[in-house]
Amino acid sequence: MNQTEEELIAALKMGAAQAFKTVVEKYQEMVYSTTLSIVQNEADAEDITQDVFVQVYQSVNEFKGNSKFSTWLYRISIAKALDHEKRKRRKKRFAIVQSFFEDRNGAHDHPVEFNHPGVLLDNKEKAGELFKALQLIPEKQRIAFMLNKIEGLNNSEIAEIMDTSFYAVESLLARAKLNLREKLKNYYLHLSTK
Amino acid sequence: MTENDKNIENQIEEALKSFDNIQRASPNPYLLTRINARLNGRNIWEKTAFFISRPSVMALGLSLIITINLTVILNSSKNKLNEYSITTISEEEEYAIPFVTIEINETP
Repeated sequence: MNQTEEELIAALKMGAAQAFKTVVEKYQEMVYSTTLSIVQNEADAEDITQDVFVQVYQSVNEFKGNSKFSTWLYRISIAKALDHEKRKRRKKRFAIVQSFFEDRNGAHDHPVEFNHPGVLLDNKEKAGELFKALQLIPEKQRIAFMLNKIEGLNNSEIAEIMDTSFYAVESLLARAKLNLREKLKNYYLHLSTK
Repeated sequence: MTENDKNIENQIEEALKSFDNIQRASPNPYLLTRINARLNGRNIWEKTAFFISRPSVMALGLSLIITINLTVILNSSKNKLNEYSITTISEEEEYAIPFVTIEINETP
């Protein structure tokens, strides 16, 4: 049976297991891909994706239908991924402080190289560098850029997810590209002087 | 622009274009099973905590606590008044001069 989105959400609100299964199957790639682009770690993205769907199951009654269901899911996914990042950063800071008191090597100081599984083979190396640069630009610019380039969303859709205006997204994307250029330039200059 | 600058510019352009035609990544095929296990595996305390943390339940609980407190306060002040009146009566009774019957034999 082909359910409309409203019917699917209504069934989910009633606690139908089949509706939940359909929602997970329909949106799992979207949620996983979004969280993966933010946290840049497959195991973490997997955990966050599970968290997102657990929250969806528990709080679907809070979804009033004022926006698209996918918009609501994007918001939960982004919020959870950013929360995870902040927690990880706090842990990292704590580990750095701890390393002053313990005899440890600085293995945790360097970010792990990330290979997005959806990137074309020829672009793997450059994409890895772009992902590194993405970590260095402001959060909102990074989210807008990621939603546009990886999720393929247009400015209006991004504006709805980020709860901002079309022009604000345009500006965020322009600044993101400018900042990424600068970070990449520094990176390549550093490489060329080595 | 030097050769090195040109080379760097090219690299930047290549990096910025590296997300072109990127595909969505797929999660583990057992994702649904794991989510269901998480949902079913929540223990009674987690379920209780989740239920209590609902805003409506919290508001109801808070108003119930306030009502109980108000009732107790009002009742205790009422009881104090009653106790006071009982104590006063009993003290009056305690210190009251007992009836003394004096028989006067009137002799005609």
